[in-house]
Formats: sequence, structure tokens, C-alpha cells
Amino acid sequence: MTHPIIRFNHATFGFPGIVALEDISLTIPESEFVGVIGPNGSGKTTLCRAVLGLMAPLSGTLRVLDCACEELRCHHRALIGYLPQKGMIDRNFPVTVLEATMMGRYGALGLFRRPSRKDRDIARQALAQVGMDHHRESALGALSGGQQQRVFIARALAQQPRILLLDEPTTGLDLTAQHSVVELIQQLHQELKLTILMITHDINMIRSRVDRLVLLKTKLFAEGPPQEVLKPEILSQVYGKELVITDKDFVLVEDYHHH
Amino acid sequence: MLELLAYDFMQRSLLAAALVGAVCSVIGVFVVLRGLAFAGAGTAHAAFAGVTLAYLLGLPPLSLAIVFGLTTVWITGWVEEKGRMKLDVSIGILYTATMALAILFLGLMKTYNPEVYGYLFGSVLSVTTEELMTIGGLSVVVLGTILLLSKELYFIAFDQEMAAASGIPARQIFYLLLTLVALTVVIALKTVGAILVFAMILIPASTAYQLTHSLTQMTLYSMLIGIFCAVSGVLLSYAFDLPSGPSIVLLATSLFFLAVCCSPKRLHRIQPA
Repeated sequence: MTHPIIRFNHATFGFPGIVALEDISLTIPESEFVGVIGPNGSGKTTLCRAVLGLMAPLSGTLRVLDCACEELRCHHRALIGYLPQKGMIDRNFPVTVLEATMMGRYGALGLFRRPSRKDRDIARQALAQVGMDHHRESALGALSGGQQQRVFIARALAQQPRILLLDEPTTGLDLTAQHSVVELIQQLHQELKLTILMITHDINMIRSRVDRLVLLKTKLFAEGPPQEVLKPEILSQVYGKELVITDKDFVLVEDYHHH
Repeated sequence: MLELLAYDFMQRSLLAAALVGAVCSVIGVFVVLRGLAFAGAGTAHAAFAGVTLAYLLGLPPLSLAIVFGLTTVWITGWVEEKGRMKLDVSIGILYTATMALAILFLGLMKTYNPEVYGYLFGSVLSVTTEELMTIGGLSVVVLGTILLLSKELYFIAFDQEMAAASGIPARQIFYLLLTLVALTVVIALKTVGAILVFAMILIPASTAYQLTHSLTQMTLYSMLIGIFCAVSGVLLSYAFDLPSGPSIVLLATSLFFLAVCCSPKRLHRIQPA
């Protein structure tokens, strides 16, 4: 087994009075592609925020990149590339594609240091990896949803991360754009050997691509290779009536994010 | 017109106007993008309350303006962070409460003091050498800090949570931005006055916002517009014997509407992307 890069050890997360994730024990080895699934409110985004260091465990421990520190602000956080859930960006915000991608360099650079030519090259290379370099001088707001998502993935790559954390990267995109974004993520996983944690409610889209699925419902409900997790007896306990299983073994989970 | 520049008072006012125009319009970029417009207006009124109290107690007016301005802007930031109350409501309360304090302090003064009203409406033509030094010093501090931390400031304006996630001390930078807003208000208090200072922060940046989709270009345009309006406003006010603050602000407002009408972004938006 390769080197573990993220280790939850009986970790519980939440806010005063609310437990969002309880008693999570999970080890993610380097270069693994993990899909995180679960119904709405099951703690998927909390898991994301925890790995990013935006939330400390209430009990238990979480080790990321073998950094022994409990500090939420530590330089190792710059090694986690993050794609937040869409919809929080103001379309009219005046920023070019290259300027937005350069922001990926800012955390790694540290305070007071100005981005150099090298940082610019790294950002342009990241844009090339997602196929957006020719759009680098365009307004970010003028791009389509799928193109914006590619730029935000480029921003995460510009951090030169070892872990890529993607929070519902396909939500709000049309079907063609969804497929092309997921294909891009799979390709980046193979080419750059990144550890990928992808949160999604679209099980069909990722079931054939991930190494492992993690099923959350406040607790770690199940984890393992997709064929072991995607069993009717497991899924029906978590999703209840929203679940339809067809003859061809396709799992359809009603997507009520869009409504 | 050129012989005007031979007067000492004119040189001082033009220099003060250019500095105020530059500082206000650069900080304005971050205020507009981070959505802090109303917070700044509240700060300006609080700073004026500080000025009136200073006159009442016989202290240097700008010292208490800084204290009042900083306290208000930090409370505003704290309320936004905690999210316990809607920001417009809490600022509305602070804004009017500090204005009530200012009126109270004015009422407690036994005599009419025209100097105090100078801080309310601005009087750039009467800027003294000493005041110019204070304005210059504070301008260097504010612009220098922005220059040093521009990438962090841009990042938190774009997406503060994302900035925090990538290891930038986003919260500290946010409070630093609020502090710079309060200092800027104090710098501009004497020249454009408490009521109009916020126009100088908002309008050049909003005008630049109409004209470009690049962050660095927006900052540059905003600064040029700010300096141009401040300097031309002073010249207009002298030439036509108009109050200086309104001349500057109305000139900036006209440019803003012109930019809205001619905005390449707006023209572009008509066609579906």
C-alpha cells in the first residue's frame, strides 16, 4: 500500500450543538481517486472543509500530508488544491482568466512576495492542462459554466498541489460540460498522479472512474471499491425512496440540487 | 489659469486633492469588490463624530476621528463575520448613532465653530501645510500597504473563503482592509468632508468597474479617474467660486454615468454569452 496522505482517526466535526460528521476513521493513500457520496446534509462539504483546515475536529484527529501540527493555518495547506461549489462567484467580477488562475499561486508564495515570471509560467501551464490557455485574457464572467469550472481547476493546479479537493464540480453544468469536466479530472489524476477527493451526488458519472467510494450520512456509512459500496441493501438505507435501481444495475439518485 | 499655480494655497490644495483622489480611488476598488460600500459610509459619519468630540475637548481633531473611525469599522467587520444580524441593519444603527453623537457634541459647544463644519462639507482650499503633511504621511502608509499586500487583498475581494483555504491569513487581511478604509476616510475628511468622502471612494472605482474586466486595469483606471476628478474639481471650484467637495463629487458622478452609458461590458452583455 502506498503512503497515506489523509488520515481521519475517530474525528468528529460540527458546530456548537450540531454534529455534522461523527467518528470518522478513514485513510486515503497517495494518488488515490476517491469519490465522496451521500445525500444532502450528510456532511460531504464538512469533510471538504475539514481537509482544507477551515474546521478543526471537535474530537479525534485529522492528519493531512503527514503534518503533525494541529495548526489550521500551516504551509502544507497550500499543497491542497480546492475547487469550491459553484455559484458563489459574481459573474460581473472584473477578473481575467489569467488573473483568476494566478490566485492559485498566492497562497504558495506567502505574504509580501510578488508573483514572478515563473509563477506566471506555472499559471499558464495549468491553463494549458485544462485547455484554457488561449482564453487567458478573456473576462472570467464571459465564459460558459464548464469553461469557468476548467479555469477554477487550473487555479487549483497552479498551487502545484498534491491533493485536489473538488466540491461538486459538475453541479449546474449541462450534460456535455459535466462529462468533459469529469474526463478532465480523470485525465489529471492519471497524468499528474494527484490524490483526488471528489464530492458529488452524481454516482453514475464517477462510478467507473474512481478507485474508491466513500458513502457518508453523518457517519462513515460505507467505503470501498464502487462495486462493493453500490449495493441496493447499502444504498437504500441511506437514500431511502429516492433510489431507483434498474435492470442494468444503474443507480439513479434523484438530484434535487437543481430544484 | 496657469498663474493660479503660483499661489501657495493653490499648490497645497491641488496636491492635497491629488493625494486624496489617489488614495480614495485605490482603496475604493477593494471596497466595491468586497461589497463594503455601506460600511465605509458609516465610518465617515463616525469619524465626524470623533472630530466634534475633539473640538469639544480641545484635542487634535484627526486623532479622535481615527479612534471613532477604526472602532466603527472593526465593529462592522465583526458583525459581518459573525453574521448575527444583517449587515445593512447593523451599519444603519451605527451610522445614525454616530451621527446623533456628532449632533450632540455640536450642541454641547457653546459657540458656533465654522471649522467643525469644514470637516462636514470639506474645504480643500483652506488646507494648511501641517494638514498636507498629515495627509501625505497617511497616504504613503495606505498606498504602501496596498502595494505590499495587493495579491492578498485582491484574493479576499474575489473569494475570501477560497483565500483562507489556500493558506492566506484571510481574516487578518480583511481587518487590515477595514483599517485602511478608516484611515482613508480620515485622510479625506478635511478635503471633501464627512458627507462626501464616500463618494470619492465609491465613484472612481465603480466607474473603472464599467470599463474593464481586469483587476489590475480596474485599479489603474480608478486611480487615474480619482486624481483627475479631484484636481479638476478643485480648479473648477476656484474658477467658478463653487464649494470644492461638491465640485469634485459631481464631476466624478458625471463621469460615472458617462461610463455606464458607454460601458463595453454593458454593450457586450446585450448579446447572449
